[in-house]
Formats: sequence, C-alpha cells, structure tokens
Amino acid sequence: MTSRHTTAARALALTVATGLALAACGGGTGAGTTPGAGGAGAATGKVSKIKLVAAEYSKDNTAAFWKKFAETYKAKTGVDLEVQIVSWDTIDQTSSTMIQNNNAPDILNLNAYASYAKDGLLYSADEVLPASAKSDLLDAFVKSGTYNGKLYGFPDLSSARAFFYNKAIFAKAGISAPPRTWAEFETDAKKIRDLGDGSIGYGLPLGPEESQGEFSMWLFNNGGNWKENGAWAINSPKNVETLQFLRKLTDEKVTQNNPGKTNRADAFNLFKSGKVGMVVGFSPLAGQLDQEKKVDYGVAPMPTQLAQPQTFGVTDYLMAFKKDGNQEAVKAFYDLYYQKDQVNEFIKAEGFLPVTKSGLQFFATDPKLKVYLDTLPNAHLTPTDDPGWDKVKLAVQQNLGSAVGSGGDPKAVLDALQKQAQSGS
Amino acid sequence: MPRARSDRASLGSALLWLGPSLLLIFGVVLYPAVELVRASFSRFSITGLRLGDAGTRNYQAVLEHPLLGTVLRNTLVWVVAVVTLTLVLSLGVAQFLTKDFWGRKVVRWAVIVPWAASLVITAKTFVMIYDYYYGTLNLLLSKLGLGPVDFLGSSTWILPSMVLVGVFVSIPFTAYVFVAGLHAIPQEVYEAAHVDGASPFQTWWRITLPLLRPAVLVAAVLNIIYVFNSFPIIYVLNDRNPGFTHDTTITFMYKLAFKSAEKDVGMSAAAGVFNVVLILLVVLVYLRFTRWREQTR
Repeated sequence: MTSRHTTAARALALTVATGLALAACGGGTGAGTTPGAGGAGAATGKVSKIKLVAAEYSKDNTAAFWKKFAETYKAKTGVDLEVQIVSWDTIDQTSSTMIQNNNAPDILNLNAYASYAKDGLLYSADEVLPASAKSDLLDAFVKSGTYNGKLYGFPDLSSARAFFYNKAIFAKAGISAPPRTWAEFETDAKKIRDLGDGSIGYGLPLGPEESQGEFSMWLFNNGGNWKENGAWAINSPKNVETLQFLRKLTDEKVTQNNPGKTNRADAFNLFKSGKVGMVVGFSPLAGQLDQEKKVDYGVAPMPTQLAQPQTFGVTDYLMAFKKDGNQEAVKAFYDLYYQKDQVNEFIKAEGFLPVTKSGLQFFATDPKLKVYLDTLPNAHLTPTDDPGWDKVKLAVQQNLGSAVGSGGDPKAVLDALQKQAQSGS
Repeated sequence: MPRARSDRASLGSALLWLGPSLLLIFGVVLYPAVELVRASFSRFSITGLRLGDAGTRNYQAVLEHPLLGTVLRNTLVWVVAVVTLTLVLSLGVAQFLTKDFWGRKVVRWAVIVPWAASLVITAKTFVMIYDYYYGTLNLLLSKLGLGPVDFLGSSTWILPSMVLVGVFVSIPFTAYVFVAGLHAIPQEVYEAAHVDGASPFQTWWRITLPLLRPAVLVAAVLNIIYVFNSFPIIYVLNDRNPGFTHDTTITFMYKLAFKSAEKDVGMSAAAGVFNVVLILLVVLVYLRFTRWREQTR
C-alpha cells in the first residue's frame, strides 16, 4: 500500500512543481539591475566579440546574409560577431528577457527603438554611426529614428505599401483600370462581390497581427495621421471617417469574412490563392506571387481621397546597446553594414526597399520596384520616434478589429485608443 | 580506535547522490519561482528594464483588469469541459483498448500519436482543419450544405473548437492511465460477479468503476494541472482574435508581458503568482472533496 501512497505524494509534488515551473517560465524571470552604467566614454578595455540579435525576414536569406557578414566583419576587424536569428513572433520576448537579465546584445534588430532610447540603453549616432553612413540615410528615416534630438534608430531596411489587384478577377468583373478614389474602389469591390463565384472584393486584415499598418495606409489617404502637431490625433474626425469607411466595406460584405479577426498573413494567402480582387501589399508579397506564378496581378498606387495617392512606409531598426568596451566594435559593424554592397544586397535578397540615398540609385534599374521607390522618399511613417507609440501600437493591434465586428463602433474604439495614448505618454 | 562502521552514508557521499536532483529542483523549480515573485514586486519598463520596486501595484493592476472576469470564466469553462470530456471519452477508449481484437497493437499505437506530436504542430494542423476558407472541415460542411462555419473567428465557436483540440491531445495519456488501472483489477472479481449472475452493466458499474477510482483520481488531478497550464492550443487557435476575450489565465499572463498594450513583465509576473496559487487551491479543494487519502490508500 505504500506504493499507492507514494503515488499520491508524487502527484502532489508534481502539482506544485509543474505549477511553479510553468508559471515561472511564462512570466519571465529576472530582475536585472540597470545596465549601461558605463556609458559611452567609460570604455574599459576592448571587447573581442559582439553579439547581434537579428529578426528573421525570411528562412532562406536572413541567416545566410548575416553568416557571410559575420565572416567579412571578422576578417576586417578581428572581432567575432555572434549572430542570433529570432523569428518575429518571439523577438519581443527574447529582447525583453535579455534586458531583464542584464544581458542585452550589442546590436538588436527590431521594429521599435524609442523606448530603449528613453531608458538610456542605446548609443546615439554621434557615438557609433560613421558620418558618411549617416549622411547617406534617407531623410524620412532619419526623422523617424530620431528621439529627443538624437538619432538612435538606424534603419536596416524599409518597405512601402502599395495596392495589389488581381487582373483576372478585374477582367471578369469588367473593371478596366485600378481604382483611383475611394468611391471607385467601393464600386469595384461591389462588382467583384456581385460576381457571385465566391470572389472577395477586398482583403481587409484588421486582426491583431498588423492592423495598425492596414489602418495607416487608409488614414494617410484620407489626410489623417496618428499624431498632429506633436499631439495624439487618433480619434480625429478624418480617422473616424476612415474607420467608418472600413466598417461600411465590412457591412456591405465586399471584404472577406470577419475582417476584424483576419491577420495580414491570412489576407495575403487569400490573395495568393486568387480568391481576392484587391489587397494592400508590399514588395515581399510581390516576390512570393512572382515565385508561385499563380495569380496575374498588378500593382498600383493606393486609392485616395486626396489629390495625390499617399503611401505608408515602414522601417526596422538596428540599435546599439551601450556596454563597456564595445563602442569601437559597434561602430565598425555599422561602417560595414552601410557599405553599398552589404546593405543593398541584404535588402535585395529579402525583397525590401532601400534606406539610403545610394540605395535608391542601386535599385533604380529595377522596373518592378519603381512604383514603390517613387513614393518612398515621401512615405508617411508611424510615429516610431515617440516611445508612447510602442504601447499605442499594441493597443491598436488588440482593439482596432472590434470596430468592424458585430456591434462595433469606430468612433468609440478610436476614442478609447486616444484616451489610452494620452494617459500613457 | 574502534572502527565505527555505520550504515549511514557520510554527508559527502549523500550529497553526491542527491546532488543532481537537488540541482535540478533548485535550478528548474525554486530559482524561477523566487525570480517570479521578485519580478512581481518590481516595476519594469516596456523594454524589460527593471526600474525599481513596485510594491503591490502589479497585483492590484491584475485584480483591477477589466477583462479579468472574462478570463477567469474562460479558464473555468476550458478546464472543466476539457477534463470532463477527456475522462469520459478516455474511459471508453481504455475499455476498447483492453479488449482483445485483431489489430489492437496498431490501434494502441495510433492512440499515442496525438500525445507524441508537438502541441504547436497539432494546434496549427487544427487551424488548417477549422479555417473558414480552406479548412478541410468547412469544405466538408459546405459540400453538405451546412457551412462554412467560422470556427475560429466567431465568439460562439472558438471555445468549443479549442476544447475539442484540448480533449484530442489529452485522451492518449488519460486512456493509458485507465488501461493500466483496468489491468490492475483482478480477474477473480469478474469471475465471482459472473457466477453471481451480474449483468454486464452491473459488473461495470459496481466492479470496474469503483476499482478504477484511484486511476480516475490520478488522471483527473494531472489533467486539471496540464489543461490549466495549457498554452499552445489556446495561443495558436486564438491568435486571430484581438484582445483577451477568449484567453485563459495562462495566455492572459503571456499577452500581458509581451503582446498587449500593458506589455508589463511585472504585471505578468503577478498574474503568474496568481496562477500558481489558483491551481494549487483548485487541486487541494479537489483532493479534499474526493477524500484522496482514503481512496488511494
């Protein structure tokens, strides 16, 4: 009978153990003390190795590029470059845990930087970015990478959205040219819906993955913005009007089922399978479509309410963490990365857009990229230079979709987001 | 000097034997737990940087969270539904697996598969089954004129859809616990029942089930813990739904730290401490309620 008894005891012990262990894993551990006390000038000795944590843009190219880059870097500087590639799904978790444990990488590749700059963790451009590299950066990205008057967020690559349409569906619905205005867009979407063969007029992804991106593209084309004159303007009349328009599209059933709960990847998949007439895409989507050769598509400027179509640009960042003795090695890293043959090869392989003036020339010969490159220098960006945006973005991702769900109220959703943004910053 | 040969091992050699387990317990259980509690009393920046002490603010923030009620209700439904269905279905599966029939070996192996597969992969597979446009289930329903149904996007269907997957992955382990339990029942008891003229149902109700009770208790306790702590199924199947409306306490805790607008490791740690306390309470109440000691002695 003792054996049964031990089973019971063991089960209980297991209860406690699994409970604690799982909770601990999930909750994240560590309570590191403030790193970066050393500061820029206080370098004591030099490091023989630096670490890069990079986001995985594609399975095929990201790791391959950084591996080769690390070899070139080592040959040039004698310093080892350790590369850790992390998927986009988990990179927030990885970076947060590293910083909690006082174990920040030397260079981190992420879609945000301002909160890190605010926490005093980063080198500014004056400290680690060679002047030649800085002057080569496109102005729009210098602006978005500048926090409190200093450049902290160094762009690694960029993308700009454009309007994708399925030529076969357009022909079937008797649409001769891509729509230029919202009214034309709505009419065309209805024509596609009325085909009655299951074709979807417009793929509208307002699910939590990237709803801020989709909404940005529309609101910039209605003359709206996230911030105006330095203050949050999330619930401005223009933005409310924009979200009401997206709600109207949903109600008219010209979009796919349940757009508030559709992630971007799912909307792209629908377009790639030829079910969707129109979608807002970017150059990597074009790359995939070209590879699969299944859908005959066209790329056009975004339908707009304004005189000129606007585009939404995105850039990710390579930020540098202040650690004792790493300043020179980090500077050498940027010096190499922003060489024309490095940064542009990376961008080319990943199918994105350049971040430098020389990069614009490098890609100018590619006719497929013309539609993006023409708009890139004037692209609108989200306010990544405001640390408050890092939280607002998450709030938008988690809440925007409810505005197009059943009983959702666009104005109420935007009012709530505005309130949250104002209280947070 | 008389050599005192004692049966007791020296402290050194005892530590040598115990060392690996002690290290494991300290490293994997105690240290993270201590760190979890420490983090729950700390104030963190969105970057993960510790800014200072938070007192009990993180705990208050969790308790005052507007969706905490929804999350707790989801957790209750999730655990009760999955565990109950798993136990009932596994009883049937176990009875089946202990019968002698041609191909039993193959069936036994097949039942193990969902257990052996990674939960994330299973969950992703079910996304492909449930999907509104491509889901195999919806293709079938559409052919029958019943579909498509938005299993993952509709508030009505998402929880039942997740429960089904939860049951699917919990059955193998539970069924095998029951198989072992059934094998432990002495054959003589059944012979006696047969001699006394008991009907098959009477035999099952009065002999099999009572004698299987210890196995049921163990399976129930372990399942409550596993299911309560289950992360991948809910996280993957629910990833298209914004907010916390369909989260359980475990995914709630994760989103608080990394995905939601709170993005606060301290608050998430506080939620984690609540989770541990909650599961301990639930299990203790359950054991008390079923009078564990008497049943398993």
